[in-house]
Amino acid sequence: MSATLHCRGVVVAPGGTPVLRSVDLEVSAGQRAVLVGPSGAGKTTLLRAIAGLEHVREGTVELGGRRLAGIPPHRRRVSVVFQEPRLLPHLRVEDNVALPLRAAGVGRRERRARAATLLDEVGLAGLAGRTVRGLSGGEQQRVALARALCTDPELLLLDEPLAAVDPNRREALRRLIVRLQQERRVTTLIITHDRVEAAELADTLALMLEGRVVQQDEPRELFERPRSAAVARFFGATNVLRGTVRAGLLHVDGGGCVAVDGPDGLATYIIRPEAVRLDDEGGFGARVTEAAYAGTFVRLTLIRGRQRLEAHLPAGTTVAFGEEVGLCFPADRLWRLPDDEAPVSAGS
Amino acid sequence: MLLVTSARERLGGAAAAAVTAAVGLLLVPLLVRAFADAWRAPALLPQRWGLRGFDVAFADGQTPAALVTSLAVAATSTACGLVLAWPAARVLGERRMRHPAAVFLLLAMPLLVAPYAVGVGLSEWFVRLDLSGTLPGLVLAHLTFVLPYAVLLLLSGFGPQLRGVEEMGRAAGLSPWQRLRWVTVPALRSTLAAAGLLCFLVSWSQYGTSLAIAPTRPTLPVLLLPFIGSDPQVAAALSLLFLAPAMLALAVAVRAIRSAT
Repeated sequence: MSATLHCRGVVVAPGGTPVLRSVDLEVSAGQRAVLVGPSGAGKTTLLRAIAGLEHVREGTVELGGRRLAGIPPHRRRVSVVFQEPRLLPHLRVEDNVALPLRAAGVGRRERRARAATLLDEVGLAGLAGRTVRGLSGGEQQRVALARALCTDPELLLLDEPLAAVDPNRREALRRLIVRLQQERRVTTLIITHDRVEAAELADTLALMLEGRVVQQDEPRELFERPRSAAVARFFGATNVLRGTVRAGLLHVDGGGCVAVDGPDGLATYIIRPEAVRLDDEGGFGARVTEAAYAGTFVRLTLIRGRQRLEAHLPAGTTVAFGEEVGLCFPADRLWRLPDDEAPVSAGS
Repeated sequence: MLLVTSARERLGGAAAAAVTAAVGLLLVPLLVRAFADAWRAPALLPQRWGLRGFDVAFADGQTPAALVTSLAVAATSTACGLVLAWPAARVLGERRMRHPAAVFLLLAMPLLVAPYAVGVGLSEWFVRLDLSGTLPGLVLAHLTFVLPYAVLLLLSGFGPQLRGVEEMGRAAGLSPWQRLRWVTVPALRSTLAAAGLLCFLVSWSQYGTSLAIAPTRPTLPVLLLPFIGSDPQVAAALSLLFLAPAMLALAVAVRAIRSAT
């Protein structure tokens, strides 16, 4: 069972200061959406607002066509997995899982049976009778996940579910979340601040900056076709080239020319550091200010006038500090920011 | 990890033994005194043992009456103290106030002034309010001292962690009453036990205020004190009574704390 989530113009201002300033977000029925953004952007606040734990001052939140305003949290058919497992230490694992059922008045025998099924699904079949104290962080989060699923919610909200888990257990928990979501086709919204984790988890990815969703799309679009320089920066497309296009050549403001596709005029182009190549014949010269070996690649920081650039090159590359090199920007990897966004991003 | 735990346990065991020994050392002379019908210096032990102390203490109905008064006042003060302190402790514990220092100072004020002075001041009001010498009067007076302790102890149980679990309960569909019973009280169990015990003992051992508010309705300490000079054996016998609920409350609280951890 699942339903489409619609947030339109949501404003939340706990204690008077607006944290969410008109948020629009849509998650189709059965889809797995990830909300990503730096800490303090308002991701958790949006999740809490959808769950009914935060007052929505303006705008609407709809689930399956139902307006959620005024509906108490437990009648919204929404389940939350918080960043910390938030288990009750005095209860057994199975009673923690079945807590929402107990609140709903389901009898003990049925509760235990449902808990057993769910614990089996999250890979904790043998732990029903244990207390939660001895469990690892990852196991506790699985119990919390089972608890969230036991009421068959229409919408599952997960707030940084991997944050409190050991790094070497994250992968398994991530797979479990994806598998359970796919099996149940439950509409799911996951919060994270990690863009790689976001890309791996998402059907659809939304970036939140300073209380607004600035772009929502497939993960690849946000990484390769950002709508603004701020989006590009968050997803690691750190090279921003501003200038004027004349006859297929971008005359970069700080000097130098780059071959591009697109109409003449003022333009801002983005290119990811891993798309930049060294090319001694190339027209774009720059000086190396830093060369760092990063294990799987070499990170070069370069400068030309006031233009800062970054390039990720194969691990075998040897470039000396201070060296003048030629750079090549493949035309198919250069992305021109939409014109309406360029002036805004120029200021930010 | 295992080593650390066992070392800590051993340390805890040693501390418990030391406390028990210290309490025992204090209790032994009291026990001997209470049952010494004749004990003349310089003898180390009494010449004659007996129950004269208890006989005298219970010769009239005063002692049972004082015992009932003390118990009723202490139990009511504890219950009222915890209920009244609860919301204040929550606000302070969750750091919802921007400037809590003033509140802490106000809370501590009754503890800085001599109880008898507080009692005399209160009795002036209570005479006019017709509360002087009544059980509600005693409870209200004791609350002056019980409340600060209750708030200060309870607030350590509140905080972001408890709030987080309560919020989970809300999202999981628990009614406010279910949240209180299944989430909040179990989480606060040891804090509640410690706060309850302290509140009870603060009220139980209150002397100055009780004397000022209700000289005609003596609590156990008010009854006990004059005997210390006049008849130490009766004072010792009454002291044993005085200690009994404290010991019992201590045992119950220690058990509650132990089962909660």
